[in-house]
This record gives sequence, structure tokens and C-alpha cells, in this order.
Amino acid sequence: MKYIILSLAVFLSACSTTVPVKQKFPDAPKELFEKCPNLNIIEPGKTAITDLLKTVVSNYALYYECSIKQEGWTDWYGEQKKNFDKANEK
Amino acid sequence: MWQLTWILSFLPNWFWILLLIGSIASVILSRFFLVYKLPMKIGGAIGLILSVWMLGAASNEAKWEARVKELEEKLLVAEQASKQINTEIVEKVVTNTKVVQGKAKTIIEYIDRWNTKEVIVEGPERIKREEVIKYIEMCPVPAAIIDAHNAAATLNKAAEEPKK
Repeated sequence: MKYIILSLAVFLSACSTTVPVKQKFPDAPKELFEKCPNLNIIEPGKTAITDLLKTVVSNYALYYECSIKQEGWTDWYGEQKKNFDKANEK
Repeated sequence: MWQLTWILSFLPNWFWILLLIGSIASVILSRFFLVYKLPMKIGGAIGLILSVWMLGAASNEAKWEARVKELEEKLLVAEQASKQINTEIVEKVVTNTKVVQGKAKTIIEYIDRWNTKEVIVEGPERIKREEVIKYIEMCPVPAAIIDAHNAAATLNKAAEEPKK
């Protein structure tokens, strides 16, 4: 029995193989990590419609800036996934 | 057990080929030597098994090394492509953000012109501006509307969980 175990161990040792290759998870650009800022509010005491309009315009701009970042994340994920899949296909 | 394989792997490949040939020869020739028949047969069989096993292991190792190298090359290409993707995305984000900020600034500057009575333009644009300025002076926005706007602009605070 011990000869069988020994011979099995010897023969199976030829099958042991470690693959020392690791794929690093890509780092996303730091620009995408910036948080979307809070929207602006109209300062107390300002009652002109132009102040209201200016605040609304700057809030629209903040929305679109945030939307650009979100789009950036979507593009980043899509492109990196394509790249990852390409590297891993056989 | 891998240590044994590791030590034996230092022997060159030709050694195992030579051992294989020698072992086959030993098994075949054993029938002609009556005295050394058994030792030659046993030695030949052991040598045959060992050499075949080591040649197989070496071939397997070479196959895996080739795969590792291939994978490393693929990963290097992927890493470079990943950096290129990041650069392109950052460029796109920065450019688009600048465009949005620039356009917003232009609109705000345009609105600011309605805050001054020093209208330097002439023609229909002057009439339009004067009308707007008149409207701004006459119609202050009620505080309730401003409060409603501010409440809407801070909606995200309602979604934040209260800190414990």
C-alpha cells in the first residue's frame, strides 16, 4: 500500500504547476472620483429674477459636469472590460 | 514531492534522452547477458520509467512556461491599453467639463448684463434689454418661490441617513 501511495505521489508531482501570472485591476483616473458637488441655493435676501436665473444656470452646469463624470465611469468600465476580455480570451 | 522534481529538473534534457536510450538498450540487451540479466532488466525498467516521466515533466513544464510567457505578453499589452483608455477618458471628461463651464459662464455674463442700466447696444436688442430690466425692477421674486427652489436644490440632504 505504501508503495502505491509513494508512486502516486511521485507521478502526481509532475502535474503540479503554479501559474505565477496575475492580472492587476486597472486604476480608474482620479478625475472620476471627484464627488458631484451640492447644488447652489439662492442666497437669502436676493429677490431679483436674475439671481434665480443665475443660480438655475449654474445648477444646470453642475448637473452636466456630474453627468460627464458619470458618462466617464460608464465609458471607463466598458472599455476596460473589453480590454480585460481581450487579454483573457484564448 | 515538487522538491524532487525541482532538483532533477537541473539535469539537462539530453541526460534524460540518453537515459531513455540506455534503458531501452539495457532491457533489450539483458537477454544476451545471463549473469546480469535481472539487474539489467530492473535497472532498464527503472531508467525507462524515470526518463519517460522526467521527459514528460520537462515537456509539460515547457508548455506551461510558454503559456505563462504568452499570458505575460498579453497582460503587458492590456496594461498599456488600459493606461491609454484612462488617458482618453480623462481628456474627454476634462474637455467636456471645460465646455460646459465655459457655456455656463457665457450665459451668466449675458444675464449679468440685465443688471446694469448702462445699455450700450442700440436697436431691437436695446428695447429687449430695457424691457427685461424694467421687469426685473418691478417684479421681485416672492420668498416662497426662492424657498421652494432652495428646498429642491437640497433634496439630496433628505436622502442622507441621519448620523448616529
